[in-house]
Amino acid sequence: MTTSMPFTRIPPFEKALDTPQASAAVVGVLTAIAFALRFYKINQPDQVVFDEVHFGKFAAYYITREYYFDVHPPFAKLLFALAGWFVGFDGHFTFENIGDSYTENHVPFVGMRALPAILGSLTVPVVYAIMKETGYSTIIAAFSACIILFDNAHIAQSRLVLLDATLILFMSLTIYSYIRFRKLRYWEFTVEWWSWLIATGFFMACTWGSKVNGILTVVTIGIAVLVDLWDILDHKKGFTMEHFWKHFMARAVGLIAVPFIIYLSFFYVHFAILTHSGAGDTFMSPAFQETLIGNELLMNSQELRYYDVVTMKHKDTKVYLHSHPDRYPMQYDDGRISSQGQQVTGYGHDDINNHWQIIPTKALPEAGRGRIVHHDDIIQLLHVNTETLLLTHDVASPLMPTNQEFTTWAKDDHSRHNDTLFYLNIVDGNHDDPWKSKSSYFKLVHGSTRVSMWTHSKQLPEWAFKQQEINGNKNPTEKSATWFVDQVISTENPEGHSVDHTPKEPKKMSFFKKFAELQLLMLQHNAGLTSSHPYASGPINWPFLISGISFWTENDEQKQIYLIGNIIGWWTCVITLSIYVGILGADLLARRRGIQPIPEAVRGRLWNSAGFFLLIWAVHYLPFFLMGRQLFIHHYLPSHLASALLAGAVLSFILSDTINYPISIAGRWTKMKHSEYADLGMRGPVAVGVFAFTMFLMFLYMAPLTYGTPGLDGETVNAKRLLSSWTLHFAAKVTAEVL
Amino acid sequence: MRPSQVQIDFGTPPGTSPRTSSEFEQVHYPASHPSYSSTTEIYKHEELLPLHYMNEDTSTRRRVARGPGSSGGFMSDEHESEMHYDDEGKDVYSKLRHAKGRVSSGRVHKPPPPPPASISEFISQNLEHLPPAIYTLLSCWTRFHRIGYANTVIWDEAHFGKFGSHYLKREFYFDVHPPLGKMLVGLAGLLSGYDGHFEFKSGEVYDANVPYVAMRVMMATFGVALVPLGWYTAVELGMSSWACHLVALMVLCDVAWLCISRFILLDSMLLFFTFTTVFFLTKFHNQQYQSFSFDWWMWLAFTGISIGCVTSVKWIGLFVTAVVGLYTIEDLWEKFGDLRMSNRDQIRHWTARVLCLILLPITVYMISFKMHFLILNHSGPGDSTMSSLFQAQLVGNDFATNPRDVAFGSKLTLKGMGWGGGLLHSHVQTYPVGSTQQQITCYHYKDDNNHWTVLPTWEEPEYNPNSELRFLQNGDVIRLQHVATTRNLHSHSVAAPVTKLNNEVSCYGNSTVGDFHDYWVVEVVDDIKEGTDVSRIHSLTTRLRFRHQAMGCYLYSANAVLPPWGFKQLEVSCTKENDPEDMHTYWNVESHWNDRLPPGDAKFYKSSFFRDFWHLNVAMMTSNNALIPDPDKEDILASSPTDWPWMRLGLRMCGWGDHQPKYYLLGTPVIWWGSTVSMIAAVIVVSVYLLRQQRKYIDMTPQQWDHFLYVGKIAAYGWFLHYFPFFIMGRVTYVHHYLPTLYFSVIMFAHLLDHFIFSARWKGSTKRVAFGICAFLIVGNFWWFRGMAWGIDGPINDYWGLSLRKTWNIYNA
Repeated sequence: MTTSMPFTRIPPFEKALDTPQASAAVVGVLTAIAFALRFYKINQPDQVVFDEVHFGKFAAYYITREYYFDVHPPFAKLLFALAGWFVGFDGHFTFENIGDSYTENHVPFVGMRALPAILGSLTVPVVYAIMKETGYSTIIAAFSACIILFDNAHIAQSRLVLLDATLILFMSLTIYSYIRFRKLRYWEFTVEWWSWLIATGFFMACTWGSKVNGILTVVTIGIAVLVDLWDILDHKKGFTMEHFWKHFMARAVGLIAVPFIIYLSFFYVHFAILTHSGAGDTFMSPAFQETLIGNELLMNSQELRYYDVVTMKHKDTKVYLHSHPDRYPMQYDDGRISSQGQQVTGYGHDDINNHWQIIPTKALPEAGRGRIVHHDDIIQLLHVNTETLLLTHDVASPLMPTNQEFTTWAKDDHSRHNDTLFYLNIVDGNHDDPWKSKSSYFKLVHGSTRVSMWTHSKQLPEWAFKQQEINGNKNPTEKSATWFVDQVISTENPEGHSVDHTPKEPKKMSFFKKFAELQLLMLQHNAGLTSSHPYASGPINWPFLISGISFWTENDEQKQIYLIGNIIGWWTCVITLSIYVGILGADLLARRRGIQPIPEAVRGRLWNSAGFFLLIWAVHYLPFFLMGRQLFIHHYLPSHLASALLAGAVLSFILSDTINYPISIAGRWTKMKHSEYADLGMRGPVAVGVFAFTMFLMFLYMAPLTYGTPGLDGETVNAKRLLSSWTLHFAAKVTAEVL
Repeated sequence: MRPSQVQIDFGTPPGTSPRTSSEFEQVHYPASHPSYSSTTEIYKHEELLPLHYMNEDTSTRRRVARGPGSSGGFMSDEHESEMHYDDEGKDVYSKLRHAKGRVSSGRVHKPPPPPPASISEFISQNLEHLPPAIYTLLSCWTRFHRIGYANTVIWDEAHFGKFGSHYLKREFYFDVHPPLGKMLVGLAGLLSGYDGHFEFKSGEVYDANVPYVAMRVMMATFGVALVPLGWYTAVELGMSSWACHLVALMVLCDVAWLCISRFILLDSMLLFFTFTTVFFLTKFHNQQYQSFSFDWWMWLAFTGISIGCVTSVKWIGLFVTAVVGLYTIEDLWEKFGDLRMSNRDQIRHWTARVLCLILLPITVYMISFKMHFLILNHSGPGDSTMSSLFQAQLVGNDFATNPRDVAFGSKLTLKGMGWGGGLLHSHVQTYPVGSTQQQITCYHYKDDNNHWTVLPTWEEPEYNPNSELRFLQNGDVIRLQHVATTRNLHSHSVAAPVTKLNNEVSCYGNSTVGDFHDYWVVEVVDDIKEGTDVSRIHSLTTRLRFRHQAMGCYLYSANAVLPPWGFKQLEVSCTKENDPEDMHTYWNVESHWNDRLPPGDAKFYKSSFFRDFWHLNVAMMTSNNALIPDPDKEDILASSPTDWPWMRLGLRMCGWGDHQPKYYLLGTPVIWWGSTVSMIAAVIVVSVYLLRQQRKYIDMTPQQWDHFLYVGKIAAYGWFLHYFPFFIMGRVTYVHHYLPTLYFSVIMFAHLLDHFIFSARWKGSTKRVAFGICAFLIVGNFWWFRGMAWGIDGPINDYWGLSLRKTWNIYNA
C-alpha cells in the first residue's frame, strides 16, 4: 500500500520508481524472471532426484489410495497428488531409487515438478510485497526479492518434487498477511482487519500442514502476537480490560481456532483418501489397521484358544521366538556361568522350531468360548519340537548381566513348574479381551520374577548360530518388549473358528482418535531420525554455506545436481545480519549513556519492522541447534528468506536515514505526524543494480550444479568448488606436487 | 553479623521537601508519543521512569560518585524507626514516596551494636548465631554418624581414593577432573597417616591400615559446612528468619547431599565451593553501596577465589561461574547507564571485576595445576598424556637414557605434539569404513603396540643390523614398520573416518609386502637444544613432520575421537594442507631403543609450565568429550537430565547383597519435588506480577520488587545454568550432577515461601503453623529415608515403603 507523499524536491527517477505503476512493472519483471529460471529445463533430469524418492512415492500412494506413513503433515503431499492426478499420473511408479528413469516408466513428472516451480516462483513477488508493505521503497523491495530470485538453493529446491517450495511460499504468505493485519491496528475489528487476521491463520495452517518445520512459523506469529497483546494490555495506552479481551479472543479465533480446524481438515482428507491397506500399516495400532481395506489384520486375525500351536514374532525386530536342542555354554567369555539350559533365541526365518503350543493353567470347559485365551491369563508355552516348556529364572543372560536368561524345561518335570508360568499381558487390553493372532500385541510377563520377554538386535556368538538373544527385561514399562502371534499353525477343534477369507468390512474409528494416534507417531518418528547421513550438516554451517547436498549424479556425462546457495546472496545476508545486530548493540550502548545516534522514527522502524524479520530468522533457525535429528542445509531456507528481508531493511538504513511514513492505515482517532518519504537518492538504484547483476552472474556460474546440466569436466568442477568444504562429484584429482 | 552501612547516609532527611524529578535521570521517550503529552508533570515523571530507576541503587550511587567514604554519621533514630517497614510490603498504592534503606523481604536490619561490655551482653548480641551453630552441630551428627560403617570401597571412591593415593606416592596420573579436589583427598590421606599403598578397587574391603574413616570424615566436613553456609546465604539474601531456618533445614535434611558427602568423593567439595561462591556473591551484593571499601574488595576477591576453587574441583563449577558472570554483567550494565558516575569510577568498577572475577580465578586454577605438577614428580600411569619433555622430567623415567641420535633400525615411539596428542599406535583391529585396513590411532597409554621401527625404502637394500650405522637425517625417506604386526605405516587417497577431508592412514602389508605408499619423508622443524640447524634427529628434543611422499600430505592427529569401533582413541589422518605452523603435524621421538648406540646422558630437559598446563587441559577436555554414552552398553547407573527434578531414578552406589550396607543416592522427596514445583511457581508468580504491573496494580514498592527479582534471579539463573547445559552435553550424566543445581531450587523454594508466608502479612500464629508443617515434612521425610544415606542393613526387601515411585530400583525386583 503506497501512501500519498509530498513529491516536492524529489528527483524524478526515484519518484517514478515508487509510483504504483512502476512498482507493478518491477514486480512483473521479477516474477517473469522467476518463472523463467525455475521452469528452465524442468524436464532435466528425467530421473528420480534425492527426496523425490519419498515425496513422489507418497503422491503415488494418494493416487492408488494406499495407506502410508510419513513424519510430515499431508498438505503439501496432497497438493503433489492433486498435481499428479491432474496430469494423469496413475500412481504405479514407486520412485524406488534415486536415478530411476521417469521417461521409461511413463511418469508425467514435468507436471508434478511444475507445481513446486510455480509455488517457488510466486515466492519472489510475495517477498517483494512484504518489503513494500513494510514501508520500504521499490528498489529495496527489489533487492530483497533478488536475493531469493537468483538463489541457486531456492531454485534447485523448487524445481523438484520436494515439500520446501510449498513450505516457503506459505510461510512468506503468512508473514505478508500478518504485516497487512498489523498495519490495520488502528482500524480494528473492521472487515479488512478480520480478513487479514483469518488469512494469517489460514496460511499458517498451510505452512504447518506442509512440513513439521512449519510449526516454527506458528511460533513466530505467536511471539509477535504476544508482544502485541502485551502492548494493548499496557495501562498507559488506556484501554479497558474488555477491550483487551476482545482483542485476545479475536486472535484466539483467527490464529488458533481457524488454523487448527484447517490443519485437522488436511488430515481428514488424508484419511478419507487413504482407505486401503499399504506400506504404512505396520506403524499404526491394530485398531487403526483394521479400518483399512484389505489389511492383513482385518483379514487374518483370529481368536486364539488353548492348545493352539502358534508362532510368535517380536514387534520391532520381527524375529520369531525360537528354541532348539542346543544348550547354553557353561561359561561365557567374560567368565560368567550359565544354567546350561536349552537355548531360546530370536530367529528370522520360518522354521518348525518356532512352533509353540499354548498350555492352560486352569480347568477348561469341553468346548465353546471358554477355551479362548484372555488378557491376564496365566499360560505356559510348550516348545513343540523338544516337548519343553518356556522358562526364565534369575540367571544372567548371555549378553547382558542385568537381564534374565530364557531357557526351557522338560514338560514332565514339575519341579520348576512355577518358573514356567507367564502372564499374558495384551497391550491396552481390558479384562475380557480375547487374545487374537496378528492384531493383539502382547507382553509375556514372568509370573514370579516379573520380567518381560524381550529381545534386542544383538547377535549371540557362534554357539547359538548368531541368532538374536532373548532375555528377560526387568523394566516393567519397556515398550520394545512387545510381541504378536504371527500364524496359527494348528488348532485342536477346527470347527470352532474357521478362518473365512471373504473380504471383511473395515471397522470404523473416529477421526479424532486416528488423528491423535498419527500425530503422536509423527512426533516420535521425527525425533527418532537420528541416523547419520553423508550430507547432513550442523546448523552453524548453514548461513555461511559451508556445505551442500548432492541431490543427483549421472556418471556418463558427469552431470550432477548439488544443492548450494548463491554465495554472494548468502554472505550478503550474513553480513547484513551482523551489521544489524551491531547497530542494535551500539544503539543500546549509546542510549545507556544518554546519546541518541539514530532519529527516533528511523529507530522505531529499525527495531520494530526489521526486528520482526530478525525474530522470524531466529525462530526458524535457532531451534535446530537443539534438535538431535539429522539436519540438512535446506532446513535453513525459511531462515534465509527472513534474512533476505532483513538485508533489505539494513540496506535501506545504510543508504539513507529517511523512511517512508506513515505506513499503517490511520484510524479515526490516530493523530498524524507529518509524513516522510524515504529518499535513497541515486545510490539505491545503482547499488541494487550492481548487486543484482553480480548475483545473476554468480547464479549463472553455479547454474550447471543447480540444473544438473550440462555435464562438467573435472577442471570445471574444481573451479566451481568455491569453498574447499563443498563435496562435489567428478572433481579432477589434485595431485600434490611430489617434490 | 555486620550490618551494611547502607542505611547511614540515605533517603531524605526528615523535613526536606519532596523530591522532584530533577533528581532522577531522564529516560528519553519519544517526545511525540501520544500517551505522554497530555499527562501532568508528576504523572509523567512516574511514567517515564521504569520502576527500577527509583530505587536506592541510583540514589546511593550518586553518593558514591562524590567519592567513597564521604558519607558519615550514624543513622538518626527517626530514620531507624523507618526501617521497620516489614509488613508494609503488601500495602498497595502507597509506595512511591521514599526510597528506603536496604531492602529485604522480611529481615529487619539493625545498626551495629556497641561493643559488648560483659559476657552476657556478648551472648545476647550474638544470639542470632545460635541457630546456625545448632544446625551445624546437627549436621556434624548426620554427616559423621556411622560414617565408617561400610568398610568397602563405595562407588567412585574407587577413582578418587586412588587419585589421592597417587599424590601420596607422587606418581603422575591422568584424570578428566582438575586437581584441587583430588589434592584435598590426598591431603586428607596425608593427615590421617595413609601411605598410599591401597588400590581402591571397586567394592573391595579396606585394608586394616587404610584410614578410610578419617579420610571420609575430612571429606564430610565439607558437607557439614554446607549447612551454616546455607543459613548465612539466606540471611544475606534478606530472608526472614523463618525462611533461613527452612533453608538450613533443607540443606541439613536432604538425603542426597548427605549421602554424597559421606564418602571419599569430589562432590562434597564441589558443593562446598558452589555454596561459598553464592554466599560470597550475596555478601558482595550487600556491599554495593560501599563501592571500593575494604569489605567490598574483600567479598569480591573471595567470590573470585571461590570461583577458582570450584572450577579447580570439577569443570561443572563453570556453571556457578556463569551465574556470577550474569550477575556481574547486569550490575555493570546498570553502572554503565549511570551518567552521573565519573569515568574514573566506571573504569575502576570494570577493572575491579576483571581483576577479581577473571584474573584471580584463573590464577587460582593455575596454582592448583602448578601444585599438581610439583607434587607429582614421579613417573606414573598418566605419563603418556603429557608431552615427552614433561615426562623426561619425571623421576623414574628412563627417557633420559634413550640413545640420543636416531638411526635406521631404531625401535621408537612417536608422540604427537599437538595439544593432547598421544602416541602413534596401531592394533590388529581394522577400519570398518574406508579401506578396511588395520587401524592407526593415537593412544595415551604405553603399550607395545606403540613401537615402530625405522626402515629404509623397499628399493634400497634391506636393513642389515651388521652394516654401517646410518643416522636418520632431515629429508630422509623412511618406512615405519609396526613392531607387533610388522605392517607398515601407509596412507592413500581414501577419506579418513572422522576428518573426512583428510586422507586415511592405515597399516598395510607386512615385512615383505608393501608399496611406495609406505614412504614418509622426515622433515625437521627444529630442535629445542640446537635450533633449526639440525643434522641428526634426536630423541625427545627434535620436532619432526612426516610427509607422505606420494601424496604430499602430512601425518596429522588432532583431537578427533574415533567411534567405539576405534576404542575412542584419537584419529590419525594425513592432512593435505601444508601448514608449517600446525602443531598437530608435529611429532617427536619419545622412547628410543637401539642396541648399537650408546645410551644418552642423564640430562633433564625443561618444559614450560604454561605449555604443560595447556596440554593437560586439552587432554582433559578431549577425554571428557569421549565420555559419551555407549549405545551398545546398558548403563543402569546413568540417567538423563529429565529424570532428575522429579526424582525418576536413583543410583545404587554399591553392591546390593543382603549382607552389606546399601547406599542409594536419591534426595528427600519433599525437598526435591517442592523445589521443582517452586521453579515452575516462580515463573507463574513473576508473570502474574508483570501482568499486574502492566495494568498498574502496584503490589510492591520498586525496591521490594527489585529485591524480589534479585533473589529470584540468583535462584533461577543458577538453576537454569546448572541444569540446561546437561541437555546439550553429549557425555553420560548421573543423578549426582543435579546436586549443585538443587541448591538453587532450594533457595527459590525458600524465597517463595518467604515471600508468600513468612514475610507476608499473616498473623504470627499462621506463620508458626506454616513453618511447623514445612519443618515437619522435611524432617519426617528425611527420617523416613535416612537409611539411604546411613546404609541399609540386611535384605533390602525387608524395608517397607522406600520406593515412592515405581521407577526407583531400590528394591530387588
